[in-house]
Amino acid sequence: MIALSHVSKVYRRPDGPPVTALDDVSFDIGAGEFVTLRGPSGAGKSSILHVIGCLDTPSAGTCRLDGEEISRYSDRALSRVRGRKIGFVFQSFNLLPRTTALENVELPMIYAGGRLDRQRAERALDRVGLAQRAGHYATELSGGEQQRVAIARALINDPPLILADEPTGNLDSAAGAEVMAILTALHAEGRTIVLVTHDEGVAAYAHREIALRDGRIESDRRRVVAAQ
Amino acid sequence: MTLMNGLALAARSMRRHRLRTFLMTLGVTVGIASLTILSSLGAATRQETMARFKRMVGTFDTVIVRPGSGAMRGMPSVENTPATLTFADAAAVATIPGITRVALVQTAFNVDVIYRDRSDTPGVFGVSANWTALRDDEVATGVFFSEEDVRARARVAVIGTDVERTLFGGADPLEQTLRIGNVPFLVKGVLTSRGAGPTGASLDNVIMIPVTTASTRLFNRDALTMAIAQLEDPLAGDAAMQRITVLLRQRHHIVPPALDDFTLTSPRAAMDRILAVGATLRRLMIGVAAMAMLIGGVVIMSLMLVGVSERQREIGLRRSVGASRVDILVQFLIEALAISCLGGGIGILVGLGGTEIVTRLQHLPPVLVWDPFALAVALSVALGLMFGSFPAWKAARVDPIGALRS
Ligand SMILES: Nc1ncnc2c1ncn2[C@@H]1O[C@H](COP(=O)(O)OP(=O)(O)O)[C@@H](O)[C@H]1O
Ligand SMILES: [Mg+2]
Repeated sequence: MIALSHVSKVYRRPDGPPVTALDDVSFDIGAGEFVTLRGPSGAGKSSILHVIGCLDTPSAGTCRLDGEEISRYSDRALSRVRGRKIGFVFQSFNLLPRTTALENVELPMIYAGGRLDRQRAERALDRVGLAQRAGHYATELSGGEQQRVAIARALINDPPLILADEPTGNLDSAAGAEVMAILTALHAEGRTIVLVTHDEGVAAYAHREIALRDGRIESDRRRVVAAQ
Repeated sequence: MTLMNGLALAARSMRRHRLRTFLMTLGVTVGIASLTILSSLGAATRQETMARFKRMVGTFDTVIVRPGSGAMRGMPSVENTPATLTFADAAAVATIPGITRVALVQTAFNVDVIYRDRSDTPGVFGVSANWTALRDDEVATGVFFSEEDVRARARVAVIGTDVERTLFGGADPLEQTLRIGNVPFLVKGVLTSRGAGPTGASLDNVIMIPVTTASTRLFNRDALTMAIAQLEDPLAGDAAMQRITVLLRQRHHIVPPALDDFTLTSPRAAMDRILAVGATLRRLMIGVAAMAMLIGGVVIMSLMLVGVSERQREIGLRRSVGASRVDILVQFLIEALAISCLGGGIGILVGLGGTEIVTRLQHLPPVLVWDPFALAVALSVALGLMFGSFPAWKAARVDPIGALRS
């Protein structure tokens, strides 16, 4: 599914020295895996997610997604891949303000080229248990509900890959558990999940853990998942 | 992204940012409305000026000969013109090839006209019988005086509608006797109303009498205040003026560099001068309108730039769910276009209404010129494109990662 080979990412800054966020990172993630990325703040976890998620291109090395070499793709091609294959979930939810839950969920359909399919958006909301909240604005929803809307949005184009960057970081443990339950269910459906987290409890859901430090891989371990 | 989706997005975004949308729309509306109003008024004023001038001079294809040298102010009258242009001069001008007829005119504006207990001081015009033919004047009731009346120095008069109203009220003026400077005249007819002249003053406050009668019985003067020569060929005005100049210099024994004791004017040239002044004014007005448009455009641009920086996170999010740079660019452009077209549409409506109101208040003819409105449509689109492009480009260049990281 994902194959990173000698990927580096260097951020050049106008003032000050360049920052090496990723330094010669290589790993493969197979289809259907549930992987967590762990490591201290600034280790490069988000940077990896951005490269895999086609939001950014590596400074060096290659990234393959489903066999497609995306590191040299054009903006347009990358956008297509993002829209069809990838669902992002962010720590800060990133719902559009003054926009209903349903409209937020519809958003990715706009760029996928098809018609806006309201029923599909309603089904996606139903999946995350928020059918009753379709007409609510983001500000009227709790953090956990907002994150579930964001997951519904990530699912709307039925992507095989879900990239979640500390999705439970802003949630209390109950809401976090709900979110993790949904992600686990998505994994059970056969989707590939890459999850960035600090939380030991959250990491326990995954089958594999890649630890990063200073832009390098520190360890890459498989683990036995407790019965769910 | 399909066009429909783009429009739906623009509509949503406009609803979401009502105040900003309102201000941007207002900017365009003001620009388009002032453009359409000012240029419509310019066209209406031009038409009205031309109409009034035409009403005053009757026909354009003439050369007007006045006594005295250089420009003079106001209407020539027996009071303010030298006695250098004679009946014989006019008769000689009439013999010039290319000149079909010459009307003789003696005017005075300070003669009392009395009917029973009413009096008035209209313009008294002693004219030749060919006046109506030359001036396109018409008689509404009764008849104009004839060649025979002129020859016989008859005391007959044809009055304008203003004089009819002030002296006769509702009564029938025909065959009534009125006194012009104490000389009794028989009213033979009433002229068709001509309305207002270039200055806005009425052209109907006149009384016409045979020029011979005026000369011998009223003014006691053998000199004309004006002679109007009609051209056979409207385009031969310059040649005719040349011939008239040569003839009159010869008759008056004038050898340049001595100054002529007569002045020739062409109504067409005079009107061109008046219209040229109007054109300058119109250009100024269009400049003002263009300024308003520019301000509208700058309002759009700056508010959109504010919008782009406020919506960084939204842009980043859209990029993350599959929007390409081009999608973002197109989305913001559609928004700008939608707003400028909305503003333009409202501006056109305001422009139509405003033009209507001002033309009514100014008593201008109800002209509807389409050019400014067609231009307004084009300009609305152009405004959206021109001033929307830069913000849209800025939006497309927003780095999604940076926008989402915050
Ligand atoms: N746009 C950027 N410009 C400069 N430095 C950056 C930029 N983005 C990230 N970095 C740096 O790259 C490193 C890795 O960042 P990140 O991938 O966000 O780490 P993590 O998600 O593990 O906290 C950090 O040191 C960060 O400061
Ligand atoms: Mg991070």
